[in-house]
Amino acid sequence: MSEPILSIRNLVKTYPNGTQALKDVSFDVKRGEFLVIIGLSGSGKSTLLRCVNRLHHPTSGQIIYRPKEGSESDIAQAEGAEILKIRRKMGMIFQHFNLIPRHSVMDNVLYGALGSTPTVKSVMGLFSDEDEKRALDYLRLVGIEDKAYFRAAQLSGGQQQRVAIARALTQAPDVLLADEPVASLDPATCHVVMDYLRKVNQELGLTIVCNLHFLSLVRQYATRVVALKGGKLVYEGSPSEINDSWFAQIYGEGAKEVHIN
Amino acid sequence: MSQGSSNVSSETGAAVRRSILDGVVFAYLAFTLLAILGLEESELVNRVPQFAMMFLGLSIVGGVVSLALNAKGIKTLGWQIYAPPHLRMKSAEELATPIYKSFWGVQTIVLVAVTTAVGIKTTEIDIFKLLEVDRFNHAMRLFAQLFAPDWSILPKAIVKVVETIYIAFIATVIAVPIAFVLSFLMARNIMGGSKIGFAVYAILRTVFNISRSIEPVLWAIIFSIWASFGPFAGMLALLVHSVASLAKQYSEIVEGIEDGPVEGIESTGASRLQVVWFAVVPQVVLPYISYTVYRWDTNVRMATILGLVGGGGIGAMLMEYFGQAMWPQVGCIIFVIASVVWLMDAFSSHIRAAIK
Repeated sequence: MSEPILSIRNLVKTYPNGTQALKDVSFDVKRGEFLVIIGLSGSGKSTLLRCVNRLHHPTSGQIIYRPKEGSESDIAQAEGAEILKIRRKMGMIFQHFNLIPRHSVMDNVLYGALGSTPTVKSVMGLFSDEDEKRALDYLRLVGIEDKAYFRAAQLSGGQQQRVAIARALTQAPDVLLADEPVASLDPATCHVVMDYLRKVNQELGLTIVCNLHFLSLVRQYATRVVALKGGKLVYEGSPSEINDSWFAQIYGEGAKEVHIN
Repeated sequence: MSQGSSNVSSETGAAVRRSILDGVVFAYLAFTLLAILGLEESELVNRVPQFAMMFLGLSIVGGVVSLALNAKGIKTLGWQIYAPPHLRMKSAEELATPIYKSFWGVQTIVLVAVTTAVGIKTTEIDIFKLLEVDRFNHAMRLFAQLFAPDWSILPKAIVKVVETIYIAFIATVIAVPIAFVLSFLMARNIMGGSKIGFAVYAILRTVFNISRSIEPVLWAIIFSIWASFGPFAGMLALLVHSVASLAKQYSEIVEGIEDGPVEGIESTGASRLQVVWFAVVPQVVLPYISYTVYRWDTNVRMATILGLVGGGGIGAMLMEYFGQAMWPQVGCIIFVIASVVWLMDAFSSHIRAAIK
């Protein structure tokens, strides 16, 4: 059994206004797994992901990151330029895609290489041939190379999310963080995007940590599940073990499960 | 917990602000009463220090009255303006009371009415002056001459108005890159992250708020002494004003951008400058162009005025003929200015509509 790629230990995040988003959360992310985090809105899922790539700064606790067997560092302690390095290693996709709508699909994917391109070069639009080749490869992987020179805004929601996946892959990340990647898509498109995430997980062997709120998707795609409720970890295990009583505990008594087909 | 303490501090702050406002309103009304009772302007001027002390005293009295009223639940104008959001819920009774029957409603109506009355007196409004036969005939003669323009100076007027357009254009072109850089340094969402950033933001905001509040006409007077009379002085005056105005307008656009793309680019490990260039700039380019075209249009109109005080161009020419009361020539110049302003306005609104 190899060491986990991320070990989150006693993570606490309190916002300046006093909201406690995460209260002493601990769990591991295993190398190569498709880990899904479930929980209601406001349970701290998004905050957790943003602490891992340091878009937000944890209040206390550790996030041990092991890029390779035997080497480790604490993401929670990183400062300045180290934070940018960590973000490069943690690709992220968002509920609202967060592309640059007026720029071309190809440019958006290339922006995944910003972290590894010197600022002056990038501002002049000089990305390396290798980066451009990789960007195109990943566009092909998510099946929209024919749209490479369209403006991102001209694409449908599902297509934009695939562009966002390609951008994250261009970063050459060790982990892909997905924050509600299908929450603003219709049910049919939602499976297309989830299928691409699974493809990335299985074909490229990339570790995925994904926030979701539909249990039916969780059962279909997750290899392992953790659940958050009110900023606390309330469940960790296999998706098939989430029975009715666990469901009631995570989502509250009286909640009914909704299926997406 | 911290929510509670911040509520308390916001309530205290609001109480201080509303008492100051109500106090000043009270002192103002009391003073106006004094003026109506027949104080001459010379008397006012001679006794400014005493009156200032009196004003301060009355303000304090008014502030205390305001505190007492609000403590009793009678809401003053200051309360309406400064009450913190969590206290703004209105009772059914308050909603049912018409504004003119509420305390703050009456306070506002009295304030506006008194100010209007004093304003009419100060402005020395006198309709009958306009109707005196001599004055009326004189004005009519002037109009007759203005509307019979002397077209012989048209070529010179055209050359001069073109000069004005170029003055305005150059002022705009030099102002744009300066304002572009400044706009990011003056945007709270870009600079608010660190203490140094916030200090830069606050200093720049203050400096440019001050320079913007100095009218271009005053800048033109300063520069016409510094750089001698002529187009260069006019251009410098416009430049200073344009940089200040554009930087403010641009920075407000930057503050209104969407966070999503910024977060998206940040998540790739991009540097601060890359985030600005790739996530912020694409969102602001079009509104920037729109504001810039409008600025040029405004600058053409302003350049005309600046010419009157030594800024060169058509304004200087207008001043020359105006000073000699050569009305037919002035008529011709006014015609040229009006045409150009109208053309610029039409042109700039076309461009702005096209890039929406």
